[in-house]
Amino acid sequence: MDNSFNVREEGSHLFVELQGRLDTNNAPLLMEKLSAYKGKGLDTVVFDATKLIYIASSGIRTIIFVKQKLGSNPKIVFFNCSDDVKNVFTMTGLQNYIDFKNK
Amino acid sequence: MSTHCFKPLTGQVGNIIDYVMDAPEVKPYHELAYALRLVTEEIVVNINNYAYTDKEKGYLIVSIEKKEDNLIMEFRDGGVPFDPLVKEDPDITLPLEEREIGGLGIFLTKKLMDSLSYNRVSGENVLILVKHITNKKKN
Repeated sequence: MDNSFNVREEGSHLFVELQGRLDTNNAPLLMEKLSAYKGKGLDTVVFDATKLIYIASSGIRTIIFVKQKLGSNPKIVFFNCSDDVKNVFTMTGLQNYIDFKNK
Repeated sequence: MSTHCFKPLTGQVGNIIDYVMDAPEVKPYHELAYALRLVTEEIVVNINNYAYTDKEKGYLIVSIEKKEDNLIMEFRDGGVPFDPLVKEDPDITLPLEEREIGGLGIFLTKKLMDSLSYNRVSGENVLILVKHITNKKKN
Protein backbone atom coordinates (compact mmCIF):
# COMPACT_ATOMS: atom_id res chain seq x y z
CA MET A 1 0.00 0.00 0.00
CA ASP A 2 1.21 3.49 -0.83
CA ASN A 3 1.33 5.43 2.42
CA SER A 4 3.18 8.41 1.03
CA PHE A 5 2.11 12.02 1.20
CA ASN A 6 2.59 15.20 -0.70
CA VAL A 7 3.12 18.63 0.82
CA ARG A 8 2.68 21.81 -1.23
CA GLU A 9 2.74 25.44 -0.14
CA GLU A 10 0.58 28.04 -1.83
CA GLY A 11 0.69 31.47 -0.27
CA SER A 12 -0.55 31.18 3.30
CA HIS A 13 -2.04 27.74 2.64
CA LEU A 14 -0.35 24.39 2.99
CA PHE A 15 -1.84 21.46 1.09
CA VAL A 16 -1.15 17.95 2.34
CA GLU A 17 -2.29 15.01 0.30
CA LEU A 18 -2.55 11.81 2.34
CA GLN A 19 -2.74 8.25 1.10
CA GLY A 20 -3.24 4.82 2.58
CA ARG A 21 -2.48 4.82 6.28
CA LEU A 22 -1.21 7.55 8.56
CA ASP A 23 0.27 5.51 11.40
CA THR A 24 3.36 4.98 13.54
CA ASN A 25 5.38 4.18 10.43
CA ASN A 26 4.96 7.43 8.58
CA ALA A 27 3.46 9.98 11.00
CA PRO A 28 6.92 10.99 12.36
CA LEU A 29 8.08 11.67 8.80
CA LEU A 30 5.01 13.80 8.10
CA MET A 31 5.61 15.70 11.33
CA GLU A 32 9.19 16.32 10.27
CA LYS A 33 8.09 17.59 6.86
CA LEU A 34 5.52 19.88 8.43
CA SER A 35 8.11 21.20 10.89
CA ALA A 36 9.76 22.92 7.95
CA TYR A 37 6.83 25.35 7.87
CA LYS A 38 7.26 26.47 11.46
CA GLY A 39 7.08 30.23 11.81
CA LYS A 40 6.02 30.77 8.21
CA GLY A 41 2.73 32.26 9.30
CA LEU A 42 0.52 29.66 7.65
CA ASP A 43 -3.13 30.56 7.77
CA THR A 44 -4.63 27.19 6.80
CA VAL A 45 -3.47 23.60 6.47
CA VAL A 46 -5.62 21.65 4.05
CA PHE A 47 -5.46 17.85 4.19
CA ASP A 48 -6.81 15.87 1.29
CA ALA A 49 -7.98 12.58 2.82
CA THR A 50 -9.63 11.22 -0.31
CA LYS A 51 -7.19 8.30 -0.42
CA LEU A 52 -6.64 8.01 3.32
CA ILE A 53 -8.10 4.80 4.74
CA TYR A 54 -6.70 4.80 8.28
CA ILE A 55 -5.38 7.08 10.98
CA ALA A 56 -3.89 5.99 14.32
CA SER A 57 -3.06 8.05 17.42
CA SER A 58 0.30 8.95 15.90
CA GLY A 59 -1.61 10.60 13.05
CA ILE A 60 -3.84 12.44 15.52
CA ARG A 61 -0.71 13.72 17.25
CA THR A 62 0.48 15.11 13.93
CA ILE A 63 -2.71 17.18 13.64
CA ILE A 64 -2.32 18.45 17.22
CA PHE A 65 1.28 19.28 16.34
CA VAL A 66 0.12 21.42 13.40
CA LYS A 67 -2.16 23.36 15.70
CA GLN A 68 0.35 23.77 18.52
CA LYS A 69 3.77 24.02 16.97
CA LEU A 70 3.61 25.74 13.60
CA GLY A 71 3.37 29.03 15.40
CA SER A 72 0.39 30.55 13.62
CA ASN A 73 -2.42 28.36 14.99
CA PRO A 74 -3.59 27.55 11.46
CA LYS A 75 -7.09 26.52 10.53
CA ILE A 76 -7.31 22.82 9.70
CA VAL A 77 -9.40 21.58 6.82
CA PHE A 78 -9.98 17.94 5.86
CA PHE A 79 -11.35 17.04 2.47
CA ASN A 80 -13.24 13.80 1.86
CA CYS A 81 -12.65 12.19 5.23
CA SER A 82 -14.01 8.63 5.49
CA ASP A 83 -16.39 7.81 8.33
CA ASP A 84 -13.77 5.54 9.92
CA VAL A 85 -11.15 8.28 10.00
CA LYS A 86 -13.66 10.90 11.13
CA ASN A 87 -14.69 8.59 13.95
CA VAL A 88 -11.12 8.64 15.31
CA PHE A 89 -11.16 12.45 15.27
CA THR A 90 -14.46 12.41 17.13
CA MET A 91 -13.27 9.93 19.75
CA THR A 92 -10.23 12.09 20.48
CA GLY A 93 -12.25 15.32 20.58
CA LEU A 94 -10.69 16.91 17.50
CA GLN A 95 -13.86 17.16 15.44
CA ASN A 96 -14.66 20.69 16.58
CA TYR A 97 -11.28 21.97 15.49
CA ILE A 98 -11.42 20.56 11.99
CA ASP A 99 -13.43 21.92 9.10
CA PHE A 100 -14.64 18.81 7.26
CA LYS A 101 -15.43 19.37 3.62
CA ASN A 102 -16.34 17.26 0.63
CA LYS A 103 -15.40 18.03 -2.91
CA MET B 1 -7.18 -20.08 19.07
CA SER B 2 -4.25 -18.37 17.36
CA THR B 3 -1.10 -17.70 19.29
CA HIS B 4 2.35 -16.62 18.26
CA CYS B 5 5.52 -15.47 19.99
CA PHE B 6 7.31 -12.61 18.28
CA LYS B 7 10.97 -12.61 19.24
CA PRO B 8 12.90 -10.42 18.90
CA LEU B 9 10.26 -7.74 18.94
CA THR B 10 12.23 -5.01 17.19
CA GLY B 11 10.95 -4.18 13.73
CA GLN B 12 7.95 -6.47 14.04
CA VAL B 13 5.07 -4.05 14.57
CA GLY B 14 3.86 -4.45 10.98
CA ASN B 15 4.17 -8.26 11.14
CA ILE B 16 2.19 -8.42 14.37
CA ILE B 17 -0.61 -6.25 12.94
CA ASP B 18 -0.71 -8.50 9.85
CA TYR B 19 -0.80 -11.59 12.06
CA VAL B 20 -3.80 -10.28 14.00
CA MET B 21 -5.68 -9.06 10.93
CA ASP B 22 -5.14 -12.37 9.12
CA ALA B 23 -6.06 -14.56 12.10
CA PRO B 24 -9.07 -16.78 11.36
CA GLU B 25 -10.79 -15.38 14.48
CA VAL B 26 -10.51 -11.81 13.19
CA LYS B 27 -10.69 -12.01 9.41
CA PRO B 28 -14.45 -12.57 9.03
CA TYR B 29 -15.35 -9.41 10.95
CA HIS B 30 -14.80 -6.72 8.37
CA GLU B 31 -16.80 -4.21 10.38
CA LEU B 32 -14.30 -4.56 13.23
CA ALA B 33 -11.17 -4.43 11.08
CA TYR B 34 -10.48 -0.74 11.66
CA ALA B 35 -10.90 -0.95 15.43
CA LEU B 36 -8.85 -4.14 15.79
CA ARG B 37 -6.03 -2.80 13.63
CA LEU B 38 -5.97 0.41 15.62
CA VAL B 39 -5.89 -1.21 19.08
CA THR B 40 -3.27 -3.72 17.96
CA GLU B 41 -1.07 -0.95 16.61
CA GLU B 42 -1.42 1.17 19.75
CA ILE B 43 -0.69 -1.68 22.16
CA VAL B 44 2.20 -3.18 20.19
CA VAL B 45 3.87 0.19 19.57
CA ASN B 46 3.69 0.94 23.29
CA ILE B 47 5.25 -2.39 24.23
CA ASN B 48 7.87 -2.08 21.50
CA ASN B 49 8.86 1.41 22.67
CA TYR B 50 8.78 1.03 26.44
CA ALA B 51 8.75 -2.56 27.69
CA TYR B 52 12.34 -3.62 27.16
CA THR B 53 15.58 -1.96 28.15
CA ASP B 54 17.44 -4.68 26.27
CA LYS B 55 15.54 -4.74 22.97
CA GLU B 56 17.35 -7.87 21.77
CA LYS B 57 15.72 -9.93 24.49
CA GLY B 58 12.27 -8.50 23.91
CA TYR B 59 9.36 -10.74 23.01
CA LEU B 60 5.62 -10.46 22.71
CA ILE B 61 3.16 -13.32 22.72
CA VAL B 62 -0.08 -12.52 20.93
CA SER B 63 -3.11 -14.77 21.38
CA ILE B 64 -6.51 -14.39 19.80
CA GLU B 65 -9.51 -16.40 20.79
CA LYS B 66 -13.18 -16.34 19.94
CA LYS B 67 -15.34 -17.32 22.88
CA GLU B 68 -19.07 -17.21 22.31
CA ASP B 69 -19.79 -13.61 21.35
CA ASN B 70 -16.44 -12.26 22.39
CA LEU B 71 -13.20 -11.77 20.61
CA ILE B 72 -10.40 -11.96 23.17
CA MET B 73 -6.94 -10.63 22.41
CA GLU B 74 -4.09 -11.21 24.81
CA PHE B 75 -0.74 -9.43 24.70
CA ARG B 76 1.95 -10.90 26.94
CA ASP B 77 5.42 -9.42 27.28
CA GLY B 78 8.38 -9.98 29.59
CA GLY B 79 9.27 -6.31 29.96
CA VAL B 80 9.31 -3.97 32.92
CA PRO B 81 6.04 -3.96 34.90
CA PHE B 82 3.71 -1.54 33.20
CA ASP B 83 -0.04 -1.17 33.62
CA PRO B 84 -1.28 1.01 30.77
CA LEU B 85 -4.71 1.27 32.36
CA VAL B 86 -3.65 3.33 35.38
CA LYS B 87 -2.71 6.32 33.27
CA GLU B 88 -5.29 9.07 33.48
CA ASP B 89 -7.28 9.68 30.29
CA PRO B 90 -6.25 12.76 28.34
CA ASP B 91 -8.65 15.68 28.70
CA ILE B 92 -10.24 15.84 25.26
CA THR B 93 -12.39 18.84 26.22
CA LEU B 94 -9.33 21.10 26.37
CA PRO B 95 -8.76 23.42 23.42
CA LEU B 96 -6.45 21.81 20.90
CA GLU B 97 -3.77 24.37 21.68
CA GLU B 98 -3.57 23.06 25.26
CA ARG B 99 -3.77 19.33 24.63
CA GLU B 100 -1.25 16.88 25.97
CA ILE B 101 0.24 14.94 23.12
CA GLY B 102 0.56 11.58 24.91
CA GLY B 103 -1.86 8.94 26.13
CA LEU B 104 -4.11 8.99 23.08
CA GLY B 105 -3.32 5.44 21.97
CA ILE B 106 -4.47 3.71 25.11
CA PHE B 107 -7.40 6.12 25.34
CA LEU B 108 -8.56 5.08 21.86
CA THR B 109 -8.07 1.44 22.79
CA LYS B 110 -10.35 1.88 25.82
CA LYS B 111 -12.97 3.56 23.66
CA LEU B 112 -12.93 0.91 20.95
CA MET B 113 -12.90 -2.21 23.08
CA ASP B 114 -15.58 -3.43 25.45
CA SER B 115 -13.22 -4.35 28.24
CA LEU B 116 -9.54 -4.22 29.10
CA SER B 117 -7.68 -5.85 31.93
CA TYR B 118 -4.09 -5.86 33.05
CA ASN B 119 -2.29 -8.31 35.29
CA ARG B 120 1.32 -8.89 36.18
CA VAL B 121 1.70 -12.69 36.05
CA SER B 122 4.95 -14.61 36.66
CA GLY B 123 7.15 -11.73 35.58
CA GLU B 124 5.05 -10.87 32.52
CA ASN B 125 2.68 -8.06 31.64
CA VAL B 126 -0.61 -9.57 30.52
CA LEU B 127 -3.04 -7.25 28.80
CA ILE B 128 -6.38 -8.68 27.72
CA LEU B 129 -8.73 -6.84 25.37
CA VAL B 130 -12.28 -8.00 24.75
CA LYS B 131 -14.61 -7.00 21.93
CA HIS B 132 -18.22 -8.16 21.72
CA ILE B 133 -18.76 -9.28 18.17
CA THR B 134 -22.54 -9.09 18.14
CA ASN B 135 -22.38 -5.45 19.15
CA LYS B 136 -21.14 -4.38 15.73
CA LYS B 137 -20.80 -0.67 16.16
CA LYS B 138 -19.83 0.61 19.51
CA ASN B 139 -18.97 4.04 18.25
